[in-house]
Amino acid sequence: MLLAYRLPREPSAPRVTVWRKLRRLGVTQLVDGLVALPADARTREQLEWLADEVVDADGEATVWLGRLGSAAQERALARRMADAVAVDYAAVASDAEAAASEPDVARRRTVARLRRELQRIGRRDFFPPPERDGAHTAVERLAATVSVP
Amino acid sequence: MRWATRAGVHVDRAACAWLVRRFVDADADFVFVDDPDEVPADATPFDMRGVELSHHDDHCTFETMLSRFGLDDPVLWDLARIVHEADLADDRFDAPEAAGLDVICRGLSMVLADAQVLAVTGSMFDGLYEHRRRALLLGRDPA
Repeated sequence: MLLAYRLPREPSAPRVTVWRKLRRLGVTQLVDGLVALPADARTREQLEWLADEVVDADGEATVWLGRLGSAAQERALARRMADAVAVDYAAVASDAEAAASEPDVARRRTVARLRRELQRIGRRDFFPPPERDGAHTAVERLAATVSVP
Repeated sequence: MRWATRAGVHVDRAACAWLVRRFVDADADFVFVDDPDEVPADATPFDMRGVELSHHDDHCTFETMLSRFGLDDPVLWDLARIVHEADLADDRFDAPEAAGLDVICRGLSMVLADAQVLAVTGSMFDGLYEHRRRALLLGRDPA
């Protein structure tokens, strides 16, 4: 799925909103104003709503179904998307490890926060990298050290 | 009246169909289409690009319908909080119920045709409405 869009330079608020939403969806940016997501019913719907939002903000947007010219390019794109979420997973793992020395109450809060964060990352993770398991393991290891209230 | 929406219904469309049948048009007939161009002339489209009853200003279609139909029942707006998060997951509301609702609706659409999904989720939303109604009356989750 590709979304090609253009928004007026001013006001900048819609540009920022759209950019944040695209980030949350886990898109990869191909060039300025062209972003991609793997195609499924959900991503298609999400890009279509965003396209509407761009049009409502006096911009232009079109949604495309595209296919890359070769398997190698496809792998490279998937790799790029996996690398992007790998960074997010690594941050969760390091937060979980750093929290090991926190007092019990703080650890419990950290576990809750990191589990929510893992859910959010999971929603934009289309090609799970090895770091995914590491992050989940680190959070559950931390959870095991929290006493049940 | 006839109402049309996209095929492969998920939580927002299921919730809207329930809302229409229960609060707007008891005899509603639903048609499922793959493309907005296929909407029959006599049908009211919803949850599709470029139509009035759809996503607007960060609202999901269920919220848009409540506004457009002037439904101010606080229980419905409490359901809207859950439907919004199940559909959009943008952390605008605190709705711990949403993740479960999302998964259940996704699973149902894997094993049932759209009309059957609406039949099953209709009972589900009846139950959810009653649960939230009692919760609002009691000021806590009912037992």
